[in-house]
Amino acid sequence: MLQPKRTKYRKQFKGKIHGVAKGGTDLNFGEYGLKALEPNRVNAREIEAARRAITRHMKRAGRVWIRIFPDVPVTSKPTEVRMGKGKGSVDYWAAKVKPGRVMFEIDGVAEDIAREALRLGAAKLSVKTRFIQRIAE
Amino acid sequence: MSESYVLKAEARERVGKGSARAIRRNGNIPAVIYGDNKPPLSITLPSKEVTLKIHGGGFLTTVGEIELDGKKHRVLPKSYDLDPVKDFVIHVDFLRISAKTSVTVNIPVHFINEEQSPGIRKGGVLNVVRHEVEVHCPADAIPEYFTVDLDGSELGDALKISSVELPEKVVPTITDRDFTIATIASPAGLKSEDEEEEAAAADEVEVIGEAGDEGEAEGGDTEEKSGE
Repeated sequence: MLQPKRTKYRKQFKGKIHGVAKGGTDLNFGEYGLKALEPNRVNAREIEAARRAITRHMKRAGRVWIRIFPDVPVTSKPTEVRMGKGKGSVDYWAAKVKPGRVMFEIDGVAEDIAREALRLGAAKLSVKTRFIQRIAE
Repeated sequence: MSESYVLKAEARERVGKGSARAIRRNGNIPAVIYGDNKPPLSITLPSKEVTLKIHGGGFLTTVGEIELDGKKHRVLPKSYDLDPVKDFVIHVDFLRISAKTSVTVNIPVHFINEEQSPGIRKGGVLNVVRHEVEVHCPADAIPEYFTVDLDGSELGDALKISSVELPEKVVPTITDRDFTIATIASPAGLKSEDEEEEAAAADEVEVIGEAGDEGEAEGGDTEEKSGE
C-alpha cells in the first residue's frame, strides 16, 4: 500500500476539506480518467483496491497512473480506552481529495474496457466519481 | 488546417467576477480578445456554440472569426477554462491575428498503424510521452495534427520528433534535442504478489529529526496502559 517513506511529524490534526481542487483537475497522462465529485479522505487501502480492480479488468494491457498519494496520517485510539491521555497511534494513511481531482488515469485500452475498469475501481472508493476522457483534437 | 468558423459576440461593458458570473447565469460565456498591439476587448459568447466548438476538436489550432458590432476579428483561441468539477466552459482567451502573425501552438499527435507494430502485437503498450507538440508557425499555416507511423516499431523503441514530417515554416519550440513523442513500453500490468506483501510489511514511517526526542513522542501513545 502507498504511504510516505518518512515524515516531518508523526501525527496531524484532522482538518476539514474546503472548496474544489485547484490543480490536478485535467488528464495529464492517459486518455481516460476518474474524477472525484465530492470531498473526502481516501485511504491507502481504497486506492490499492481500486488499482487492483482497474488493472485486473484491463488484463495487464494498458497503463494506470495514480494521481493521489496518501500522505495524511489518521490516528485512532484502541478499543475500551477512556478519553484523554493523548492522541491515539497512527492507524492508516489517507489522501485528502477535493471535488474535481483526477484520481486515476488509464491509457492503452479501448473506451468500453476503460469505462468498465474505472467503474469497478470507483466502487472501491469512498467518493462519488465521474468517468472523463480527453477532448478529441 | 481545420475549417474556419464565425462566432457572434457582444461587447461587455463591465468586467470582473460579479459581471462574469451574471453572464454565465444568462447562458453565456465571458471571453477576451487581445494581441496585435491593440487594446483588449471584453466580449460575451453564446455558451452552446462555444462548447460544441471546443468538443468538436481542433479548437485551439483553428483560426476563426468573431463578429463584434458588425466588425470581424480574426482570432486564434489561446486557452479555455473549464469548471474543475462539472467541466462546463468558464472563459475563453482569443489572440488577435494579423497577416504576419506567427504563433506558438500545441499540435495534437495522431498515431497510425498500431496493429502493424510488432512491439504492440507482443503485448507492449503505446506510452504517449507528448499528446501534443509545441511549435512556432505562421497563423495561416497551423497544422491540424502530426502523424506518427508505428509500423515496424519494436518493444522498447522510442519515437522521436525527427520521425515526424513537419510542414514548411513549422518549427518545434524545443530545438536543442531530438525529443521523444512516444515509446513502446512493456505493460505495467499487475504487480506481483511478493511486491504487494513487501509493501504491506513496510508499515514503519521514519519521522525526520525524532531520534533525540523519541521518548517524548512515544509518551502520548501509552494511554492504554493507564487505566486508573
